[in-house]
Order: sequence, then C-alpha cells, then structure tokens
Amino acid sequence: MDNQSTEERQRHHPSPSKQPKASPVPVDTNSVTQRLQKELMALMMSGDLGVSAFPKSESIFTWIGLIEGGKGTMYEGLTYKLSSQFPLDYPFKPPQVKFETMCFHPNIDQFGNICLDILQDKWSAAYDCRTILLSIQSLLGEPNIESPLNSSAASLWSNQEEKWYTNSMLLEKHVRADTKTQGLLS
Amino acid sequence: MTEDALSSISNLGVLDSLSVASISEILESWNSFCLITETIVNGDDAKLSISYSKFQSDVSSLCKYGLRSLVEEHFLLSLQDMFEKQYAPKFWKNFDAYKNVSDREMNDGNMRDDEIELLLCKALEEISLEKQYQEKCLLMLVNSLQLCQGHNTSMERHPIDIENNFFSKYRLIFSSVLMTTVPRQFTEILHWYFKGRLEELNTIMAGDYDENNESEDDNQPSNMDIDRIHDQKKILENKLVRSIGMVVHNLRNLGFTSMTEDAYASTIFLLLKAKVYDLAGDDYRTSVLESIKEWIQAVPLRFLRALLEYLGDSMSYLSPKSTKSPLASTPSSCYQKFGKPSEGIVRWQLRLEYFAYETLQDLRIAKLFEIIVDYPDSAPAIEDLKQCLEYTGQHSKLVDSFISALKYRLLTAGASTNDILHQYVSTIKALRTIDPAGVFLEAVGEPIKEYLRGRKDTIKCIVTMLTDGTGGNSNGPANGDSLLEELNRDEENQESNGLDDDINTEDKQTWIDVQRWEPDPVEADPLKGSRYRRKVDVLGMIVGIIGSKDQLINEYRVMLAEKLLNKTDYDIDTEIRTLELLKIHFGESSMQKCEIMLNDLIDSKRTNTNVKATINKSSLTGAESRKHDASFDILDATIISSNFWPPIQDEDVKIPEHVDQLLNEYAKRFHEIKTPRKLLWKKNLGTVKLELEFEEKTLQFNVTPVHASIIMQFQDQKSWTSKNLAAAIGVPVDTLQRRINFWISKGILAESSGGDSNDCVYTLADDMADGGKSITNNEVSVADDDAETSVASVEDQLRQEMTVYEKFINAMLTNVGNMGLDRIHNSLKIFCATPPVYDKSIQQLQSFLSGLIAEEKLELRDAKELPKHTFSDPNFFVVASAFPGRAIILY
Repeated sequence: MDNQSTEERQRHHPSPSKQPKASPVPVDTNSVTQRLQKELMALMMSGDLGVSAFPKSESIFTWIGLIEGGKGTMYEGLTYKLSSQFPLDYPFKPPQVKFETMCFHPNIDQFGNICLDILQDKWSAAYDCRTILLSIQSLLGEPNIESPLNSSAASLWSNQEEKWYTNSMLLEKHVRADTKTQGLLS
Repeated sequence: MTEDALSSISNLGVLDSLSVASISEILESWNSFCLITETIVNGDDAKLSISYSKFQSDVSSLCKYGLRSLVEEHFLLSLQDMFEKQYAPKFWKNFDAYKNVSDREMNDGNMRDDEIELLLCKALEEISLEKQYQEKCLLMLVNSLQLCQGHNTSMERHPIDIENNFFSKYRLIFSSVLMTTVPRQFTEILHWYFKGRLEELNTIMAGDYDENNESEDDNQPSNMDIDRIHDQKKILENKLVRSIGMVVHNLRNLGFTSMTEDAYASTIFLLLKAKVYDLAGDDYRTSVLESIKEWIQAVPLRFLRALLEYLGDSMSYLSPKSTKSPLASTPSSCYQKFGKPSEGIVRWQLRLEYFAYETLQDLRIAKLFEIIVDYPDSAPAIEDLKQCLEYTGQHSKLVDSFISALKYRLLTAGASTNDILHQYVSTIKALRTIDPAGVFLEAVGEPIKEYLRGRKDTIKCIVTMLTDGTGGNSNGPANGDSLLEELNRDEENQESNGLDDDINTEDKQTWIDVQRWEPDPVEADPLKGSRYRRKVDVLGMIVGIIGSKDQLINEYRVMLAEKLLNKTDYDIDTEIRTLELLKIHFGESSMQKCEIMLNDLIDSKRTNTNVKATINKSSLTGAESRKHDASFDILDATIISSNFWPPIQDEDVKIPEHVDQLLNEYAKRFHEIKTPRKLLWKKNLGTVKLELEFEEKTLQFNVTPVHASIIMQFQDQKSWTSKNLAAAIGVPVDTLQRRINFWISKGILAESSGGDSNDCVYTLADDMADGGKSITNNEVSVADDDAETSVASVEDQLRQEMTVYEKFINAMLTNVGNMGLDRIHNSLKIFCATPPVYDKSIQQLQSFLSGLIAEEKLELRDAKELPKHTFSDPNFFVVASAFPGRAIILY
C-alpha cells in the first residue's frame, strides 16, 4: 500500500518545472556514470561522519549506504542500512532510496519506503547522494508528522513523545547489548 | 643295465616273434654297444677310430631289431652322465677359488683380473675341447645310424634332420646341465672379466698402453691369425678383441649366450657411466657430449663391432640355432658390408648413446643449480644438457629437481635479494637456451618470483641491478656493465642476426613463422595458452616480479634523484646513458620525468655558471662583497623543477649565518637572471666539503649540511648541551642525536651525560688519539648515513598516494561488506574513475592494505579485509526482541 502510494505520488507529481528535459533527453549512461563517480568521490572526500555509501557491485547505479542516527536524537548509536537505485536519467529523476534495515519512524514504512519531499516532488538535480543521505539522517531526528507512512509511530511521536523517547532509548540499549554479544560470539 | 633296457621294450608282440638266436644277437650287440659307448664316452680318443666299425655293426644290428630309440637314448644318457659327473664339476671347480670373494676384493688389482682371465680362458678352452670330443662321439653315432637307415628304407627322416635333431638334443642336455650347476660367483667372474678387458681396451685407445700389459695377451689361441698391421695398437686391440671374442664364442657354445651378453652389456654401461662421470665431473666450462660420443665410438662400439664381426665369422660353423637375446645384435647380419654398420651395431650405438645422454643429463640436472650459478661460464654444460634433454625428453625431471634445489638453497632467508636476482637472471638465460619456448622457465621461475615478491628490497635491488652493474655486488657481471647494457648488447646481436628476416615481406615472415611453429611441449600448462609464450624476455620477466614497469620506473626515479642530489659535480654521463637504455625498453614517455631531472642538472650547470659570472662582475664594483668572492666559488647549486622530482624530504636546519647570506645572495641573482622564477633553497640537502683544522692536523669530510652545521657550532663554543645545540641548529633533539653520532663515531666530538637526565653534553674532543685513528688512514670520509635520504622513498610516496583510496576502501567495506583483495582492486578501478584515478597495481594495493592492517584500521579475516572502526560490524543481523510486537533489525 505504502509502496504504491509512493510510486503514485511520484507519478502524480511529475513536477514538470523541475524536470523538463527528462523524457526528451536521450539516455546518456556515460554522463550519468561520470556524474555518479563524481558524487562518489565527493562523498568520499567530504568525510562526513555518520553517512557513507558505496556502489553495491560492479554497477554504479545501485548503491548501499549506511546512516548513523544523529547525535542527540533517539536514533543516536543506531545504524541503518539503505539501498539506493539511481535511474538512468539521473540526475533529472531522483534515486529510489529505501531503508534496508527496519526502521520505526513516522515517515518510514515497514518496507523501508521513505517519505521525503526531496526524494519526490522537491527533487532537484542539484542534490546529490551526499545531500540525500544527510537529509535522511536529519529526517530521523525530525520526522514530518504531517505525512506519515507509519501512523502508529506518528501518533506515538505526537502524543507521547516522552514515552516514545524512553522506549527508544531502552530499545537502543538492548540492541547495542545484543550486537555486542553477537560480536563476541562470532 | 641290459635287463633294464630290455624290459623297457614294451612291444610284446615283437618279443614273441624273437627267436633265441636273435635274442642272443641282440644281447651281444647291446653289450658290445654299451661297452664301446662307455669307452668312447670316457674320452679315449684312440679307441674312437678303432672301435668305430664294431660300434657301427652293433648299432645296425640293434636297429634291425627296432631298438634304435634305445640306442639313441642310451648314448645320450651316457654322454650326459659323463658330462654331469666329470666335465661340469671340473669346469666349475676352476672357479671355486672365487667362491667367497666378494666384489670389493675382486677390485684389488690387476693381478686378480689377469688370473680370472687366464682361468676363464683355460676353463673355457678345456670344456670346449671336451664338448667337441663329445660331439665327435655323437657324430659317430649319427653316422652309424645314418648307415643303417640307408638299409632300412622305412625310416623316412632325412639324414640331415637326424643329425640336427641329435645335436640340438645334445646341446640342450649340455647347457641345461651347465645351467643347473652354475655357481653363484660365475656371473661375477664374467663381469669382472669383461670389465678388465674393456678397461684394457680403453687404455689402449687412450694411447698409453705399455709393454707390461702385453704379457696378458700371451694366452692367445695359437690358431688366431693376426693380421699384419703396422700399428701396434691395432694389433693389440685386435688381439684383445679376439681373445674376448674367443671367450664369448666359447661361452655361447656352452649356452651362456644371454648371460654373456648381460655381462658385457652391463660392463660396457658401467664403464660408460664411469667415463661420463669422469669426463663431465664438476667442470662446466667445457662441452663433454662430443667427447663422450667419440669415446663411445672409439671404445665400446669398436669393441662391439670387432666382437660381433668375429662372432659373425664364426657363426657359420657355430650352431645355427644358438639362441639370441632380442637385445643382442644379429652377428651374422648379412647387411654387413664395407662402410655400412650392421643393424646390430646401430642398435648398440643407440642404446649406448641414450644411456650416455641419460647419465649426463641426470648428472647435470643434479648440479643444475651450481651450473646456473656460474652461468655464462657454464654455457657448454647447458648446451650439453639441452641436447641430452632433446634426446631423452625428461624435462619434467629437470623442473622438479631444479625447483627443489632452488627452494632448498636459494629461496631462504640467508640469501641476499641481489644473489637471488642474479640467479634468476642466470636461470632465465640458461633455461632460455634449453627451452626457447619458455615453458619450463615459467614453471621454474614461479617460485622465485613468488619469493621475491615477499621481499621488501626487491624493487630496489632490481633497479640497482638494471642500472648499475657493479651495484656494490661482487656477484654482478664481471665487466661492471649493468644488466641493461648487457640486455641491450644481446638485443643488438639478435637484431643483426635477424637482419635477413627484415628483408622479407610481411607475408613471407608470417609464412616463415608458420613453418617454424612447433607444438608446445607436453608439460606446457594448457591454461596459459601458447600465445603468451614468445621469445623469453629477461627484462620482461624481471619486471614481472614487480608487477608493473611503472613501479620500477618510479623506484628508479627515486634512486636517480638521490644520486643526482648527492652529486658534487654536474657529471651525469652515466646517468644519461642509463636513461637512454631505459628509454629503449620502457618507452620515451614513461621516462619523461627522469629525463627532465637530468635536464635540470644540465641546466643547473649552465645557470650556476651564469649566476656566478654576474656575481663576480658585480663584485668587482662593490668592495663589501669581496668577502663573499671566494665563497661564491665554493657554491654549486642544483636547481630542480620540483614538480617532476619525487617528493623531497624537507627538514628545517639553521645553517651558519654567512652561508645563509651567501645562499640568499645566490637566490637573488638567480631571480634576476631568470625572472619570474625564484630559487627556494632546500637547505637540508646537498653536500658540504669540510676541512677541520686541529692543532696538529687537518681533516677533510664530505658531509650533509646538518652535519656541517653541527660541527660549525663547535667552532666558537667547545661544549654544547643537546637542547641548546638542537635549538641553535633548528632541528629536533632526536634528529640531532641521530646526526651527531657521525661526529662522535669519528672521535671528533665526545658525549657525556649532563646534569639533566634527558640532556647530554657534547664536547669537542681534544684528544683524538683513539677515535681519530680511523680517519688518519682515510683523509676524506663521507658521511654515509643509510637512514637519511634526501628523497622520499617509493613506499612513502605510495603511502601518500594511497590515502585517497583509503576512504574508498573504508566505504566499500563498510557498506558492501567483506571483500577480497581482488574485489577491492576491481571496485577501485571501476569507481575511482574521476581524478585521482586509481592506477595502482594489485601488489601495491596489497602492500597498502597490509599497512592499514598493521595500523589496525583493517582486519584480515579469512582472507577478507574488514574495517575495524565501522559503525558496527556489518557481519551480523541482530533481531532485538526486547519489545514484543516490534522487531528492529540492525546491523
């Protein structure tokens, strides 16, 4: 359902003003590859803490990313894996970014779809992989309650922020301990 | 006996028909036959002819009554009996003396040999005579039988058949009796006999045959008619061969054909082996194959030829049915014509040559390591080995044995990289001769390559070897030429050889190539494909150790920089030559930076003169600069375009005031001449020629500026604490301590601990009695500090360049997960396409990764590199079930 809605939204809001040349321009994989390589290099050189990404396999169109929960948020100390699929007409169309790790968050559904404006109608060719990752990172700390994908999370967030917070902290602590044990076991 | 014989007649019907008279006649004839048989068999030659008529009548009368088979059987039986009881034991008794003599004792001396020879000849002659006698008896019987057969037409057998039948029967009996009774030592005796004879022959051939040995041949059978040959050697040889031939002949007659052949064959092989060992030995400087072949022709084959000829002659009266071993030649070969060797000889020759090849090959393979160690000198041995291998085809033996020798003797921690490299080059060259296709070289070279890759100084050594022949290594080419020069020379030679081919058109060349095509040796690795196997390229193989030529060139650049920076004059002729050679092999473009470096030096020389000229001109006007006049003459600058030079070590050092001024002045002048360029001094580099004046003597040194600055400080102040001195010179204390050791070791400064535990005091040694000794011998000593180099080493450079990729590696390992070296390499190649483009070899990446592991940034786990400081270990999926109904999957 959520999946569909995301796609629908993309279809319903083609935002012609932002991507006017998308369809007429013949797909030039070479230039897309170059752009992605540049983005990768920029990402590598930026040295941002808490976000990273790298092409999954030989193809540069599929990336795997990692996001650390921002400091001071309840996601601090947690790490999330993302996948990002770049379209062939990138950067005229946004990449498809999904959480691969289950994330309990108002704007992220159980399939990992993200509701983020810059990944949909607000997309601009000026954004790049790094900005996307940083946006998602900040989204974790500042959810947009107005357009929730996970309504229970949204209601928890708006109604009982304190409780949600404590739960999250407990959860986080538990997970950390668990990860540690697993690490020791291996 | 008579009754026995009678009772054996089974035909009862015949018995019935016998009258009393006939019975008595039979009995009489039988008794008489038996008597005569016994007499003649016992060897009374005189009676043989006397009793012949009586014997004949007896036989015919017995035959008349159908007792022919009985007669035959009895006669043969009595012959056998006689032989078994008398002759055979008598014959073997001759050899009883040697029953307990072991092989080793046999070896004592020639006397034994002679004894054996005499004994054998005598015994053989005797037994042959006896045999002849028995055959004569047999002939008598045969004649008698034939006679009565003439009367009795019912017999349908042909007379010749009877005779043959009889003789073969007799021979069978004869040899089986001998065979069953042959004593153990007889084969040894035969063996030693042949050995002795062949050695004798060998000495005759060798030409130092002397009179003493002649007596040995006294027992020549008198019937041997020696041809009148002027050459005494020839006579002796013939005599010897005939005596051996006689023995062989007799032995064959006795039915020892195969045993005899075994004996002389093994003797010949032993002798051949000894000869090969003797000739080949440990001398690899000469080719022995030809001389071995000659020897085979001269001794064993000549002997065999003579022997076979001799036997062939006598074959006509020998038993035509004498058994021959398949290995033996066919002595009676009818092909034997003048000039054309018989089939048997050819066969023998092939056997002997194969054996010689194999022996030599085994010998050489076992010593291949040593042979390759002195390769250029041992080329003849290699050539021999090549021919042997072509003949025997046992290349794999060579590979196996050589690899194990390499592993055992060369690829050990004790061997220096230089030695290994030199051996590798020699191996390449040597094996190239043996196997131009390079298949075995590939197999042999692999372990060396593998091993060298594990050594840190490999590249350095390779570059040194390539560019600097002497390289401080005694094992280097004796003429002091670098390997590169040598390669170049080789190439030139090859080119001049291949000049004819150049004339051919392209098509013709292709056709020639096609015609020259040979299938790969069976040992070739089919996976590698033959197209890789072209001409073996020494340089290519060496570069193959490193991985890429770029690395090699880079290393060379660093070495060149170091060398150029330490030059006190502008003489770079050798460097130019080396560079030109490198250009030939690696191409102009890859050597471009090096060329610029050399050009810098040439430019520096010119600029230096220019600058000095202007200074001198201006100094004529200004009196105040007169002070510097002398100083400018002592200053020589090397001006480098630092973009093209390897990164240069920068170290702050305060140099004495007036020198500093001098340098600034120089820089100013330079700027004036070469505007807008500016001269930036690297004050820590260069060499300073120093003269230290003491009360009683003067010492000269070539040192680095830091060293010079240190000692200059002692000009005014006799003693310094390390802290103060370091501050005065502007270097850290630890650097100072490192550098000052030079002066301490020369005995010019003395170190003593100061009041502070961290601080020590250096004083100018007033008494240089002990330390100064070492210098007095050598007035000019150079501060040669291995640890201090002016140029950043290739490893450091690589490290620097790779740090860019460290982030990539990190990101890919964190995000994608564990990866092997190959995959990291490939990923970098794919994704680092924007500058800085990833252009490193997998070996370089590997060394970089191991560096990261050493720094504990990465972890090598089951051959996979893992980041250690990742967000969390990406290995695990942890399902947290702390909150029921809510599952959060984390990494």
